Amino acid sequence: MSVKILTICCNWSPWACLNQAQMAGFVLPENLKVIRVMCIGRINQALILKAFEFGADGVLLLECHDEDCRYGPGPAVGHGNVQRVRKLLDLLGIDQHRLVEKSFGAHEKTELAQAIEDFADTIERLGPITQKERKADHYGGCET
Amino acid sequence: MVDVRLDGLVKNKGLFQCLECGKCATSCPRCMSGKEYSPRLLAHKVIAEREDEAFIENAVWECLTCDLCSERCPSGVDFSGFVIEMRTLLAETKGLKGYRAHDGAVHSWMRMMTVPELKQNRLGWINEDLKVSSTGEIAYFVGCAPYFDVFFSGIEVNTLAISRDSVRILNFFDVEPVVLADERCCGHDLLCTGDRKNFEILCRLNYEAFKDAGVKEIVFSCPECYYVWKEFMPQVCKGFDLKVTLLLDLIEREVNRGGMTFSPFSRRVTYQDPCRLARMVDKVEVPRKLLRMIPQLRLVEMEHFGHGAVCCGNSAFINCDAYSKFIQIKRLKEARATKAQMMVTSCPKCMIHLTCAMRDKVRGGEWNMELVDIHTILAREMGWFKG
Ligand code: SF4
Ligand code: SF4
Repeated sequence: MSVKILTICCNWSPWACLNQAQMAGFVLPENLKVIRVMCIGRINQALILKAFEFGADGVLLLECHDEDCRYGPGPAVGHGNVQRVRKLLDLLGIDQHRLVEKSFGAHEKTELAQAIEDFADTIERLGPITQKERKADHYGGCET
Repeated sequence: MVDVRLDGLVKNKGLFQCLECGKCATSCPRCMSGKEYSPRLLAHKVIAEREDEAFIENAVWECLTCDLCSERCPSGVDFSGFVIEMRTLLAETKGLKGYRAHDGAVHSWMRMMTVPELKQNRLGWINEDLKVSSTGEIAYFVGCAPYFDVFFSGIEVNTLAISRDSVRILNFFDVEPVVLADERCCGHDLLCTGDRKNFEILCRLNYEAFKDAGVKEIVFSCPECYYVWKEFMPQVCKGFDLKVTLLLDLIEREVNRGGMTFSPFSRRVTYQDPCRLARMVDKVEVPRKLLRMIPQLRLVEMEHFGHGAVCCGNSAFINCDAYSKFIQIKRLKEARATKAQMMVTSCPKCMIHLTCAMRDKVRGGEWNMELVDIHTILAREMGWFKG
């Protein structure tokens, strides 16, 4: 069974950076899905947990550097959430390396492409979580 | 709406006995905090105006299942029982509705525990001074405390203190309880939010795990876990034969045998009855009796107490909103009006919800009050009589 990776990408620096990387020829791994959000600060503990609940084997958060956040506290909020969810994952017996956050400036395309590849490698190596896959419709419309 | 099943529910939960007296609505904390919601009206609609599906479907998700209405109902209508089963029914036909607090994170980790291959890493809280084992006849049920303390670290709650102090109390009575590495959530919040299927999976997995460890009796400090194991496990698990004991009952039994003493604790305290403990399993006296045994501790009651106590504002982590907050603030004001120096409770959820209300940034401090779990006080003050 192949692994599924979810990348949640902030709309500002990392998204611009990802664009540039792709224009320079970087190709996203096929088993990796990117969701663009306005700010990593929007991604609360529940949303990260839900990604795992719904079958992700790894979640990568791409955010701006702390001082670059368009809204102010976004990355800082993200750090706190990631820290807590990592602890929750650990309690659930899920390897903490499956959740990673990385920050990028708009010009760091090489670093960003490298980070995505490294993360994809890590998750390939760790393999799928023995968490059984769940269908979104099981939970009704309101939560997805 | 599924009429046959609904008919059955209306009948079994006693809704036909409703006199339309309105006592439920006027005692309902949600209704009294201004929410457009009324248990009486819901009862009326499901009996006489079932075509008003929108009203019914909305109302079913509004209730706190705090059971205060059933307490007041002169006609024996089991309203919160009705609501819990209605949610299962609606969830199956229309999907899970209602607003899940914290975006449903709590329910997420509960569902993630339904995987049979789960290998948790949840015993990190067991300090060296605590004696526990992995097999044996008596077990202690920890519940979601390890998860709560991480998830709610932002408001600095310490629900694991309850678990540690409970084990300390058991150790004091020479019991080294089994604490399972793969105990799962009791499923209370899934049950009460309509996810019966996953609730039952958790029940069965837990039952098997405790049986495999050779357990015959399980001791509980959490009122919700106790309620689920007492009322629902025998329904869900075939041949269920485990003894289910409330830790407070066990302490009372030991106290009655004699030989114990409590060191003085000079405080004026008030006690918050958790809805599950006071109304659903009728344990109003035990906590009070134990608190009164502590020399110099003065127990003062709030305006609403015992069977009539008002909820901590939320249950099963759904529908936390401005009305919940209103209920919580009212509760804290009642507590402060007693001039107590400390509020004692016996439920980790009361602890979480009331702490959250106290952390209000704008009114900061106005409602603050020291909030301590009863097991923590008892563990600290208990001792053997040395004559
Ligand atoms: S208190 Fe009981 S009898 Fe009175 S309206 Fe409510 S459900 Fe009906
Ligand atoms: S259970 Fe509580 S919240 Fe629900 S209707 Fe009754 S009193 Fe109101």
